[in-house]
Amino acid sequence: MDCCEEAKLGARRLARCLQKLGFKVRFSAFRVVNVLAVCSMPFAVHLVDFTKNNRPIASYEPELHPAATYRIKNLKATVQVFSTGSLTVTGPNVQSVASAVEHIYPLLYECQKPRCK
Amino acid sequence: MSSRVCRTCGGSDIDVDQARGSAVCTGCGSVLEDNIIVSEVQFVEGSGGVSSAVGQFVSADGPVKAPLLGSGFHTGVGKESRAQTLQNGKRQIQQLGSQLQLNQHCLDTAFNFFKLVVSKHLTRGRRTEHVIAACLYLVCRTEGTPHMLLDLSDLLQVNVYILGKTFLLLARELCINAPAIDPCLYIPRFAHMLEFGDKNHEVSMTALRLVQRMKRDWMHTGRRPSGLCGAGKVVTMATATFMWLMTVPPPALLVAARMHKFRRSVKDVIGVVKVCQTTLRKRLTEFEDTPTSQLTIDEFMRVDLEQECDPPSFTAGQHKVKMQQLEQELARKLDEVEGEISCYKEEIETELEKSRPKLRGIYAAYAKEMDPEDEDVLSSPSDPEDKEGDDADLQAAAQRLTQDFLCQVIQEEGGRAPQEVETEGAGLPAQGASLASILGNASLGLQESFHTFNLPEPDQNPDEDPSPSGELDLEGIDDQEIDKYILNEKEVEVKTELWTKQNADYLKEQKEKEERITKEKEQGTYKEKKKKYKKREQIEAATAGEAIEKMLERKKISSKINYDVLRDLNQPAGSPASEPPGGAAAAPRKRLSRRRRKAGDANAELSAGATMMTKRFRRLISSTPRKKKAAPQVETAVVTETASEAVPEAPPAAVPGPAPAEAPPPVETEEEEEAAEEDCVSALRLVGDYGCEEEEVF
Repeated sequence: MDCCEEAKLGARRLARCLQKLGFKVRFSAFRVVNVLAVCSMPFAVHLVDFTKNNRPIASYEPELHPAATYRIKNLKATVQVFSTGSLTVTGPNVQSVASAVEHIYPLLYECQKPRCK
Repeated sequence: MSSRVCRTCGGSDIDVDQARGSAVCTGCGSVLEDNIIVSEVQFVEGSGGVSSAVGQFVSADGPVKAPLLGSGFHTGVGKESRAQTLQNGKRQIQQLGSQLQLNQHCLDTAFNFFKLVVSKHLTRGRRTEHVIAACLYLVCRTEGTPHMLLDLSDLLQVNVYILGKTFLLLARELCINAPAIDPCLYIPRFAHMLEFGDKNHEVSMTALRLVQRMKRDWMHTGRRPSGLCGAGKVVTMATATFMWLMTVPPPALLVAARMHKFRRSVKDVIGVVKVCQTTLRKRLTEFEDTPTSQLTIDEFMRVDLEQECDPPSFTAGQHKVKMQQLEQELARKLDEVEGEISCYKEEIETELEKSRPKLRGIYAAYAKEMDPEDEDVLSSPSDPEDKEGDDADLQAAAQRLTQDFLCQVIQEEGGRAPQEVETEGAGLPAQGASLASILGNASLGLQESFHTFNLPEPDQNPDEDPSPSGELDLEGIDDQEIDKYILNEKEVEVKTELWTKQNADYLKEQKEKEERITKEKEQGTYKEKKKKYKKREQIEAATAGEAIEKMLERKKISSKINYDVLRDLNQPAGSPASEPPGGAAAAPRKRLSRRRRKAGDANAELSAGATMMTKRFRRLISSTPRKKKAAPQVETAVVTETASEAVPEAPPAAVPGPAPAEAPPPVETEEEEEAAEEDCVSALRLVGDYGCEEEEVF
């Protein structure tokens, strides 16, 4: 089942719960405003280089947060890149999240850390 | 000064007396100059016989333009506010910076940043101390001093993330790229704090090497720099039993210290570098896993291993993924084996059935009737999963055995058996496919999966509102499940009790507040707390007259206003109105001027109307055009008591600014002349020491 449908189902279940408790419930204009996705690259990423190459779109403050934040303006999506290669992508809908991953993959590939051992 | 020639006698011998400030011709005695501007220090006697120097302090980094002599009345007030802000900021920067032991150059740079920030109005809505801290940290980053945001937050007792937010915003707005911090920078500082004495330098160098090693081994990316340093400094004395920190420098410090046979416990390091024990421990363990930890001290100092390691979290993640993969493989194999077993079972059963006696006659008829039922019964249990399929097979076998006495239907059974085998067979490939989806999708085959998302989405959107009335669609919701979520009576009681206990303080506060309010209401002293009013919608009016009328309607006007005057304001040959007293009239008058500004073509009438107003009001009108003209001088504005209200006036004043641009100058000059004539005591008293306004020429 599509994740947006699942979200709506979850919301409806909650509304049903409230209904059962005796509250007057109206369920209308449900819309998904934010989608969060995680994915993982098969390689590690060197965050300092990544930030240097992508200033000022990327920002990395190790004292505050361990990931580098990359905001894509036209998609209105934010990607958080961790040094292990894991990504957290947030955006207004599933399509923007997918496009964000497509967008950022080549940039990450350039700053990857080759696997040793 | 070159000697001039006397006008009367032509003599060139001029005596200039600096003290008296006069230039006199010695020939004829005529005074050529009087009141020469001198640069002498004068003293006046104040009250109590105290003499003080005449003059004002002009600060070096104050406003660029010197304050006008006799004081730029409105502009002076505006400049002073800005100057005060900067002065205050400078003082705070000096204070905080000295605590951090920053040199004067850094403090000056920080002050420059602060000036930029103020000019961009970024201080609005933020505490000055946050802004100051952010400016200082910006300097620390650009200069590369070993100061952490944590230090600043320590000094100010502010959450480090709040400071971080302000810092990031300032860096973005001022377009300053703060270079990434290198953990090596912190080592000398922490080393000093751990007091290694003579060997401070050596320990620092060792720690540096360790940090660089850690960098290569990927321990430092994604970790707070302070953690890395600390570990390097404090190391066990002899062997590789290290305790590790969360971030990179502390382990390096720890290790280095121990290598040089200094006793520094983890507690010492933690006190210095501000990370917790668990993180230090973890960091040390990670270091232990790297091949470098196997080297002896001497080897480490001499040799640098070529091999580099993956980041620890990366390896941990990989490990987890491998475990998952293994588990899935095992599960799949188990299923395959089970599948084989059930196949065998089926074959055995079919053989058994074949060898059983066949029914004839009336029993054959019964058997045929039963068959459709059998099929339904048998197919449904075997559908879902393999485990349940096994049970269903047993049941089906039992049923078959009982029916076999009656039935003659070997063909149907033969048909059924392959059907069941098929369903089981379908189960296995389905599982295989799901495994593939779990393991796969590492490639850019993401596109396919997301395209499938796209296809259903446009279909859904037209179906978006099946219930525009807002009725809850109960489809797909299991009521029984929902009922499980709702607590029963006993549970509700327990939960209520728990919650009340937890929030007892808050509830008590609320009760007290209620009591207080009711008591005050009874006493009649209840004061409504200031509520935030939404911006009042601006009155739209075509002419000034309309605007005045609308304003009169809206606002509750005081009794001190002569309404006739207000209504007649538009007429040029207006009746000479009695000048209403000031005070309360000032406020509605100001709004009046604002509305009339909106009217746009009111300027001609303004000049006429101005004659009827007090000097103060005229001051207001004249001030607003001045504001329009002198754009850089607009900070806060205007007259003494109306200072606070003038700010909201500024934006509406600025809006009609471009339109009546040419009108203000003539209006002003007219007003100036009129102002010169009238001598209103009250206004002068307000103006106070700023001197006579009339003498100013714009």
